[in-house]
Amino acid sequence: MTDAIATDVTVNGRPVVLAGSTATTLADALRAQLYLTGVKISCDQGVCGACTVLVDGAPTAACMTFLFTLGGCSIETIESLSTGGRPHPVQQAFIDESAFQCGFCTPGMVMLVKALFEAHPDPDDATVRRWLSSNVCRCTGYAVIFRAVDRLRRTRSAVTDGAP
Amino acid sequence: MTGGAQEQTGDRTDAVDKVLAGAMFVSDVAVPGMLHGKVLRSPHPHARLVKVDASRARAMPGVSAVATHADLVGMERTTGWRIRDWPILAFDRVRYAGDVVAAVAAVDEATAYAALETIEVEYEVLPFAASIADALAPDAPEIFDPARATGAPRYGPGARGVSAPERNVCYRYVFEKGNVAEAFARCDHVFEDTFTFSRAQHFHLEPHVSVAEWRSNRLIVWSGAQSPFLLRDELATIFHIDQAQVRIHVPYVGGAFGAKNPCRMEALAALLARLAGRPVRICLTFDESFLTVAQHGAILTVKTGVRRDGTLVARESRIQLDCGAYSDAGPHVCEKAGFRMPGVYRWEALSTVCDAVMTNTVPGGPYRGFGGPQASWAVESQLDMIARRIGIDPYAMRVKNMLALREPYVPGESGIDSDLQAGLDLVCSRLDYDGRERGTGRGMGLAVGMKDGGGQNKPAQARLKATPDGQIFLHCGSIELGQGATSALCEIVARVLRMPRRSVVYAEIDTDVTPYDNGTRSSSSGTVMGTAVERAARTLRDTVLSFAAQTLGWDKDALDLDAWHVTRGSERVAIRDLINRTFGRTGFDFEAKGEFSMPQDFQAPHNAQSMFWECGWAGAEVAVDRETGEVQILRLIVSGDCGVALNPAAAHGQEESNALASLGQALFEHLIYRDGVLVTSGPLTYRVLAATDVPAGFEMIPQEQGYGPGPFGAKGAGEGSLLVVAAAIANAIDDAVGARVTALPLSPERVLAAIASSAGLQPSS
Repeated sequence: MTDAIATDVTVNGRPVVLAGSTATTLADALRAQLYLTGVKISCDQGVCGACTVLVDGAPTAACMTFLFTLGGCSIETIESLSTGGRPHPVQQAFIDESAFQCGFCTPGMVMLVKALFEAHPDPDDATVRRWLSSNVCRCTGYAVIFRAVDRLRRTRSAVTDGAP
Repeated sequence: MTGGAQEQTGDRTDAVDKVLAGAMFVSDVAVPGMLHGKVLRSPHPHARLVKVDASRARAMPGVSAVATHADLVGMERTTGWRIRDWPILAFDRVRYAGDVVAAVAAVDEATAYAALETIEVEYEVLPFAASIADALAPDAPEIFDPARATGAPRYGPGARGVSAPERNVCYRYVFEKGNVAEAFARCDHVFEDTFTFSRAQHFHLEPHVSVAEWRSNRLIVWSGAQSPFLLRDELATIFHIDQAQVRIHVPYVGGAFGAKNPCRMEALAALLARLAGRPVRICLTFDESFLTVAQHGAILTVKTGVRRDGTLVARESRIQLDCGAYSDAGPHVCEKAGFRMPGVYRWEALSTVCDAVMTNTVPGGPYRGFGGPQASWAVESQLDMIARRIGIDPYAMRVKNMLALREPYVPGESGIDSDLQAGLDLVCSRLDYDGRERGTGRGMGLAVGMKDGGGQNKPAQARLKATPDGQIFLHCGSIELGQGATSALCEIVARVLRMPRRSVVYAEIDTDVTPYDNGTRSSSSGTVMGTAVERAARTLRDTVLSFAAQTLGWDKDALDLDAWHVTRGSERVAIRDLINRTFGRTGFDFEAKGEFSMPQDFQAPHNAQSMFWECGWAGAEVAVDRETGEVQILRLIVSGDCGVALNPAAAHGQEESNALASLGQALFEHLIYRDGVLVTSGPLTYRVLAATDVPAGFEMIPQEQGYGPGPFGAKGAGEGSLLVVAAAIANAIDDAVGARVTALPLSPERVLAAIASSAGLQPSS
């Protein structure tokens, strides 16, 4: 399998050239070439959402996205959210509500929720549930994650301003 | 990546690691020179293995090692927990579709997969038995070799085990109290009903993954093992080396629920690593986890004798567990499913037989609840059925028969440490059970469940070391699987020493250094390990005060320790100052250890009393559509009692999440086999709970009744709510439309069939 294709992307604000074959997925490239282990590979079939990253702002299953199709795209992973170790407001809400257990779905879930609030600054319950239903959490049963989202709804200006 | 994150009292110790994603999971472990392993699996549910030709794979560029049964030289060929019947690589037969036949280690996964495709396997297909009924039929193929059966362990009064009692049954557990036949004769009614419990899959998001490396003559393994010391000792046994030659590291684990206990792919990774002379990582795909281990399904036939006033008198239970192709945890789950058939009730006589039946399907292994959900499904369903048949309200019948606080579960066992009626009243009041609307397709159902907690044969040990500046390291073997174990245990240390929780660090699990532990299971971390940790913390406090007393020449009894200062009245000296005075400016470790185990008690049925009792309560309100059979969960109230919550967020999260996991299994989640092959084989076809499935009316009421034996009145929590959701919903359906579903899941088809078959019968009272 040759790694003959170079793809120019921006990852977490930095321009970078990633190498791969036609079969290289975004998830594999981010983990293997940039050591972004926050990108989790679970089902590897685009079903569970654990690998969710933002591609040009849109929540995307990195395990099902071929690297070579992303020339010129901007990719955000969980590692971009905290600055100097200070959590992003979405992350702080997850911390405050202990909205996790094993933590394997957490990076994907956090990126999904970030995108949710960027698309819907004041989402209603139905919208929240519909968005969250795209990611599987086997540990929590989602109740704590709903509480983290509720906390964000109460303080939504902090999210959209991006101020921690 | 920890600087700046605000720690508040409720924060878990693993919050920053997981939410800022700096956590290293097993799947993130990479070792220099590491190869990638993949395995070849049988497509047949049952076949004789005639020939395996891996010559083309061995010759493929990029392939460093290929293993078939011919390579199982100088080592054990099988593994297992109580019975060593599971081949590491199939050598005579394959016994389920998914059984491992060969393994390859290559430079990358793609090459390994390509190599697998060149391996030629000749099978002689055999008849298979993929269900309990088929496996017990007179002409069933023999799946289990009775020669492998070990003797049954010795139990205390009431309990006994039979090894390989009949064909395709690897183990039988029996529990008896009094004389059931005589007691039935004294009853006004005797009812017999049969229930079916589905098989579920753990569905942990991080797959089974491990890395094995041989360094000099030591085997080093990174694994998501829930019981690293059992794994260490098993690998030593398998490879004919000493325990001290094996070292297990356990980083963060992305979910387990029992699936990563005991040995899974580690022995194969180690074998490939030895053959290749390089480290090997085997990371199963998500679908392969479905072919590795699953929950035990069950058929439970329960015969219960009652008096007309609703008093429970005697119960005879016959349970058959679907154990899959290899015994694994079968004998253990047999013990527990059988032992839990009394439910939360008082009995004059009991007779329980539980068989582990082998079938040509994926092996059954530990799964949260461990036989409790199976037993409770039958117990709490039948309780309601009997109540309705004899015209007594299901709430009243439960209260009439439930054990009282401190009443022994069965002779020789410990007393119940929750007030069961108080918990039920809490749920009923929240649900407004007495005021419920009935007869319009809406109804309510209750369930109360309990399981013995803390495990058996589980000595817990913990060690602490503390620096002069008050940094405290906690070494103990509880694995952080997501349940919040590390937070609770660090909290205990912090409280005893009156230090901020962030001063306590939970040391990584490394079997070279960590004190021995039998495994993270049975909800034991908070209470069993918690007691050992509390003792270690108190000993550490005492050690520091002794040192201070000696150094200062002060009377030790007048001293206290607060925020790593010694105090005597209003005088206050930093421990750091004491070290400087004694040794100069240097580091130093204060050390202490603590131990705890439930004493052996041969008057108890399982040779030790249960340390605590995990209780769960549920009340469900449903609306049933008589035309489609769809069940809408209007309200689901669940509750558990953790005694005292050491970390409220973690304790409550456990109860909540286990209740919701049970909801999934109650309504739709189950494994389906067709012609011996798993049809619901991965995340697309096996439906698990999604965010949109959580009922708006779901609520978890935490209870801290405070009767627990653990630190500060705590006891294990989390598994109680696994026991009650399915039955509460089935009972609510019966209440709503007078139809009884006795098999899981409670699908619309089953509900419709139950409605149809109940037409013309007496409506529920």
